[in-house]
Amino acid sequence: MAEYRLDCLGEACPVPLLKTQKKMAELQVGDILIVEVDHSCAMKNVPEWARKEGHNVEIEEIGEGEWDIYIEKAK
Amino acid sequence: MTEIVKKSTIEKEENAVETKTAVTNRAMVRPAKKRRNQLPLAFVVLLGVIFMAYYLAGKSAGLAISWLFGICFGVVLQKSRFCFTAAFRDPILTGSTSLTKAVIIAVAVATVGFGAVQYAAVSKGGAIAGSISPVGWHVAIGAVMFGIGMVIAGGCASGTLMRVGEGFVMQWLTLVFFVAGTVLGVRHWGFWERLFFDGASRVHLPSVLGWPLAITLQLAVLGILYIVADKWGNRNKG
Repeated sequence: MAEYRLDCLGEACPVPLLKTQKKMAELQVGDILIVEVDHSCAMKNVPEWARKEGHNVEIEEIGEGEWDIYIEKAK
Repeated sequence: MTEIVKKSTIEKEENAVETKTAVTNRAMVRPAKKRRNQLPLAFVVLLGVIFMAYYLAGKSAGLAISWLFGICFGVVLQKSRFCFTAAFRDPILTGSTSLTKAVIIAVAVATVGFGAVQYAAVSKGGAIAGSISPVGWHVAIGAVMFGIGMVIAGGCASGTLMRVGEGFVMQWLTLVFFVAGTVLGVRHWGFWERLFFDGASRVHLPSVLGWPLAITLQLAVLGILYIVADKWGNRNKG
């Protein structure tokens, strides 16, 4: 149950998504990845992709225009 | 035999519940950063928008209407996360076609709307409203170049403007070069016109096919695209 942070602050779409996809491939089942984003478009496509893959996703707005996306690798 | 199967499904379900709460709990543990109340700022900006509209109305009604439409358009664009770039990029990158379908619907609505405006103008004996651009290979070449550019820049023209307003600093840089490119393009307009546009023909489908056929044809093509997009979106659903 390791936890990883992925800093995508300042990265425009689709870079956060591509980084997330790469990182998720390295993770073990049960690990949690926290993606930090500040691009509103990544807020849509990262969770959408992760949910489609079957992972558990939670989004939290931690500041003005700054979000943490929690993804737990489910398979 | 059935009991074992039952047991394993129950365990699975329990696991699923557990993992779900694990993520949910994580999200609750970390305290959110203290946020400033943005309401006063919003009020000031709203007053500014109204004042600007009033000022523009003094110069010309058209300017004020464009101003208000622009503001509304921006709000809708931001809130809906509507993005032309994602509409063409996501089907390939993530297999998601929700925005692609949104764009197809938008074009279909615009087809009916512009059709009505143009039909009204033409039947009154006026010129065809809207810009009818010359068609040719240059459209395909330009579209591919624009597509590459917008995916790298992280937004098309409207998307870039919306994110500039949102405060995404990288896109401020995009805006600088977006303006620089546009200025260059306008400055060399004559060159491009001689090279491509003069030889190309301007096609207005309703004038060639007649109104009912042209509109039906366009809506049919959009409908087919919608079905294809929908199938593509479901196909990638693991």
